[in-house]
Amino acid sequence: MNKNIKKQRARRYIIGFISVFLLIAGIFIHVSVGSSSIGITDVIKALFQPDNSKQTTVIQTLRLPRAVLAALIGASLAVAGALMQAITRNSLASPQVFGVNAGASLAIVVATILFPELHSKTTVYFAFLGSALGGITVYLFAAGGKVTHIKLALAGMAVHLFLSSLTQGVIVLNEDATDVLYWLVGSINGKNWSHVLILLPWSVFGLLAAFIMGRSISILVLGENMATGLGEKVQWIRLVSGVIVIILAGSSVAVAGPIGFIGLMVPHIARKLVGGDYQRILPFSALLGGILLIYADILSRFIAYPFESPVGIVTALIGAPFFLYLARKGRNIKQ
Amino acid sequence: MKTGRKLKIVSVMAILSILLVLAGCGAKQDSTDKESSNNQKVAVKHELGTTKVPENPKRIVVLELSFVDALHGLGIKPVGIADDNKKDMIEQLVNGKMKYTSVGTRQQPNLEVISSLKPDLIIADVQRHKAIYKDLQQIAPTIELNSRESTYEENIDAFKTIAKATGKDKKAEERLNKHEETIAELKKEVKEENGQTILPAVVRDTSFQAHTSASYDGGFLENLGFKDAVQSKEAYAEMNLEQLSDINPDILILANNEGKLLTDEWKSNPLWKNLKAVKNHKVFVVDRNLWTRFRGVVSSEAIGKDTVKLLHDQQK
Repeated sequence: MNKNIKKQRARRYIIGFISVFLLIAGIFIHVSVGSSSIGITDVIKALFQPDNSKQTTVIQTLRLPRAVLAALIGASLAVAGALMQAITRNSLASPQVFGVNAGASLAIVVATILFPELHSKTTVYFAFLGSALGGITVYLFAAGGKVTHIKLALAGMAVHLFLSSLTQGVIVLNEDATDVLYWLVGSINGKNWSHVLILLPWSVFGLLAAFIMGRSISILVLGENMATGLGEKVQWIRLVSGVIVIILAGSSVAVAGPIGFIGLMVPHIARKLVGGDYQRILPFSALLGGILLIYADILSRFIAYPFESPVGIVTALIGAPFFLYLARKGRNIKQ
Repeated sequence: MKTGRKLKIVSVMAILSILLVLAGCGAKQDSTDKESSNNQKVAVKHELGTTKVPENPKRIVVLELSFVDALHGLGIKPVGIADDNKKDMIEQLVNGKMKYTSVGTRQQPNLEVISSLKPDLIIADVQRHKAIYKDLQQIAPTIELNSRESTYEENIDAFKTIAKATGKDKKAEERLNKHEETIAELKKEVKEENGQTILPAVVRDTSFQAHTSASYDGGFLENLGFKDAVQSKEAYAEMNLEQLSDINPDILILANNEGKLLTDEWKSNPLWKNLKAVKNHKVFVVDRNLWTRFRGVVSSEAIGKDTVKLLHDQQK
């Protein structure tokens, strides 16, 4: 028995090591590809021995912040998804499927049309408002009584589509007010350090808070009665988790639009790799989410090379089949 | 249970009968349409087929701005325009006041309003209004032409088709001759800049959209002797600062959106400051309506004059 635990722990270390390696390798590849390819040795030189060359400027002011942003947003969305799956106990839950992303998108688009001079720092608050609106609407369906996973996911997708179509409508009515595709699928093209700075405090706060909640959430997942019996304040955990989801997803959408499916896929992969304990699932989701979005963003550059395509298209390409797979799998399990 | 089923059957029957009545009405309308228009007709070939248009149509509804420009160039006033509910934009386009009825947005024109205007010709955009072609055809003879994402040449072709449909071939020929003269004059004025790379772009809060050699304004500028900095088959291309600095055009023309702009964030970046156009003070902010929305024979001349003015005022 003891041997088995040791074996599992060794496995987790190996998985952790590989993940960190993939993340670092991903950042290097991400920084080296672009409209002109910069070799890895030049990338390292630009990072550690910066000079005044154009290459260094490109890497330091454009490519590096974009890579960092990809990692942060991937981590935020993945952890938001893991939290949602835990508090709704629904394997199909994610910021996108439950309308949280679409709500944030809509709120920002409306805000930028009503107040065109609004600073990006302020739009984050509108994003929080919108994501809360989307999330709470769907959550009320779940609170209504016995709703199956699939039904709740359907309700969530309906809210998502409704909010997305409103966003589309608002943009169409204000002809070319902003980029439709951006606010429907999300993109991290053209971002710089200022965007990282807007996102960073919210992300760090949200991620840390989520990690701290890990133990309580693991107990919550065992079942409400069990959790109450073990002295956990169930409603309280739900509320705090909900607020963290809104902070993580809302701030991500505010800087990059509603990039989908990260929050849906990553927690499942993390659970498969490190087991059912949320003290491990949450940090691993963060790590894997960052990796996934970085590699997705690398791929996004090749869709319409040498021009840019929104990374949300790539995550949707990977994520949609995954969603179908989960929905099918869910049907065979007793609910 | 039983009553529930009965109710269902009754309601289905009710819906069916309503549909039948409606279909009957539609058919009736069709036949009256055919009877009323027994005048001479002109067959006009367009992007979605050939439509028989009554000779010298009087009540024309247009669903894109370039068609307003074309009619304006031919001296015809449309009765209805999809103006996105912006009268001032149309006034800017025809350079003065004009009486017409708004039929809503270009993206979603209001079919009821169009129908109430009793048009004898509808001119629609083949990209935006392909899906409602049949509906429009029910209202009046409709021709679908290139406007959105059209090239400069396609736009001239559309102008000629409109002239044919409205029986103004002669006037169109004169107008196009005058157009060519104007272009030739403008070309002389920007002789110094001949061959320089130019990049028109639409800037929004989240995107920098370059207009390539296949876009309307890009193609028009190439006609004046410039070279579009982005040669492509697609009309528009999303770009970031890195790509812009690689392309590094001699002249940068920005049609800015209202409010926040992506380029505001770029301006502090050394890559932006090192752009040729920035160093040589050849970054120009232009009117977005004129440069990217109107797209027509008359307004292209205004674009040309604008270009000359921007380049030469700056040199003084």
